Amino acid sequence: MATSSEKQLSPGTILTGKWNGRKYKLERLLGVGANGQVYLATYGRAACAIKLGKDVSDLQAEANILASLDHREKKQPFLLDVDDAMLSGNQVPFYVMQYVPGTAVRTYLRKHGTEWFGVIGYRLLRRLSELHEAGWVFGDIKNDNILVSDYGRIALVDYGGMTASGRGIRQFTEIYDRGYWSAGSRTADPAYDWFSTAVLWIHALDEKRLLYLTRTLLPQNRDPGELLGLVKSHPSLKPLSGWFERALHGRFESTQEAAESWREAVHAASGAKSPSAPRVPGWMAGVFALSLLLCISLMAIWLFS
Amino acid sequence: MNQILLITDGGSNVGVSPVVAAAQAYEEGIIVNVAGVIDDGSIGEYGASEIAEIARAGGGMSRIVSTKQLSQTVQMMTRQTVVGTIRQAVNQELRQVFGVSSVEALPPPKRAEVVRVMEDMGETTPLRVALVIDASASMKPKLLAVEEAIRDLSLSLQARTGESMAAVFHFPGEQEPCVLDTPWTSSTERFGSLFGKLRMRGTTPTGPALLRAIEYFRESYGKIMTEDVHPASLLKQDDTDGMRSGYVV
Ligand SMILES: Nc1ncnc2c1ncn2[C@@H]1O[C@H](COP(=O)(O)OP(=O)(O)OP(=O)(O)O)[C@@H](O)[C@H]1O
Ligand SMILES: [Mg+2]
Repeated sequence: MATSSEKQLSPGTILTGKWNGRKYKLERLLGVGANGQVYLATYGRAACAIKLGKDVSDLQAEANILASLDHREKKQPFLLDVDDAMLSGNQVPFYVMQYVPGTAVRTYLRKHGTEWFGVIGYRLLRRLSELHEAGWVFGDIKNDNILVSDYGRIALVDYGGMTASGRGIRQFTEIYDRGYWSAGSRTADPAYDWFSTAVLWIHALDEKRLLYLTRTLLPQNRDPGELLGLVKSHPSLKPLSGWFERALHGRFESTQEAAESWREAVHAASGAKSPSAPRVPGWMAGVFALSLLLCISLMAIWLFS
Repeated sequence: MNQILLITDGGSNVGVSPVVAAAQAYEEGIIVNVAGVIDDGSIGEYGASEIAEIARAGGGMSRIVSTKQLSQTVQMMTRQTVVGTIRQAVNQELRQVFGVSSVEALPPPKRAEVVRVMEDMGETTPLRVALVIDASASMKPKLLAVEEAIRDLSLSLQARTGESMAAVFHFPGEQEPCVLDTPWTSSTERFGSLFGKLRMRGTTPTGPALLRAIEYFRESYGKIMTEDVHPASLLKQDDTDGMRSGYVV
């Protein structure tokens, strides 16, 4: 169980690995979750993120997943080190990973505008498609676990829910869970992630109504149709309701298809909004008004001089 | 691996003590977890301590929760019990084979191997959970939440790779202290509307109901003391991916 009473470590704390001997300096707390705390840290001059766990086996299980992901993806590794540190007399397990800059999806959209959700959604599906092709299902898709940085670039964090295809989802969040909405099993398959992705967008753009729905709906009435109802009555989501219907019912051939279908729907939606006249952005309209004003006043000077 | 999950609001008042019955279960290799449900603060101090005592005697854990948290709690307890049982077995093995007391004492690369084995076991060990539901009068307003928690648990059980079964009892019955509603099943559909037509009565024979569940384990699986958990054989599994070889010293 998550306890907020968990002590935070002060910036400047040095973690010394018991086994590998590397030294990390903690800079600041990035986040606290059910399984531990994550800090921004430096190793020499390089930035990294360190997850300090409460339970060795749980933390190691997560590290194992990251390791096998690195092994398969053959990119720059994400997992950098696994070790223990002694902190005020206790042995604390930790692992070191790449630092992912960015903010959670909802915060990003609030700051930079809802219009970013099309691109971000596409990138998310592309990333999921890579994982799915490698035989993994992310499992715990939710707002906090998708970090968005400049120009809508995304990265997934918290691989505690990542599950090999065909096994039981290791960790999930109730309102994002297909089983909770009576929309299917908790066996890991790509469609499990499509479902959570659909809920993610409802959560990101219409949190109030989603939470109200989950609070008030009787368990036996939980149904993907209820979620679709929210989509169809939300101005930004409505144009994509075809996509949502397929995602909530697992009706794509592959995640790649889900991504393509998303892209097409987003295009169609943004095109449909203003089929004839291109929209004049606000600031440009302002400049236009100003120059008009300037023009008129110049004319006035000319007329009356 | 065998578990009994008791969902009650405390206050047993007929027959053998549920604490004694839970101790009996534990002795027979069945771990007893208890979820105490409250909505209106109806669990008094007495009920709360009974719930904790049953779990302690039964080698399991107890939580007192509102109906809203019931599903999550039931999931968590079932899972934690599986994990805990495997950990115990593995730690014992580590002591015997490697002379270390627990996973923490291993260097990370070996730890990685052991944890992988533990995760595999957690996912594949056969699991049987008998749900024993208190359906005495005070529980009536909570039974919808109980049904939901059962449905939710069965979804998670169904997703496991290993054989996973659940059975549901409620107590009291019309004549007998405890009724079997759903025999062992691995499908979720069987748990439709469980308690729709129940006539609620006043007595709460928690102890006798637990005994009935123990009996049921015995009937259906013969002598259930047989070990499900064999860390030794798993640790020595052949090296399929070439990475495991580092572990068996
Ligand atoms: N590599 C990273 N780079 C930057 N921030 C990170 C990184 N990993 C995690 N975080 C931040 O820390 C938070 C908590 O981390 P994480 O989700 O892994 O913890 P958790 O205990 O698994 O949480 P949960 O309760 O979601 O399971 C994340 O939501 C994210 O904001
Ligand atoms: Mg998280």
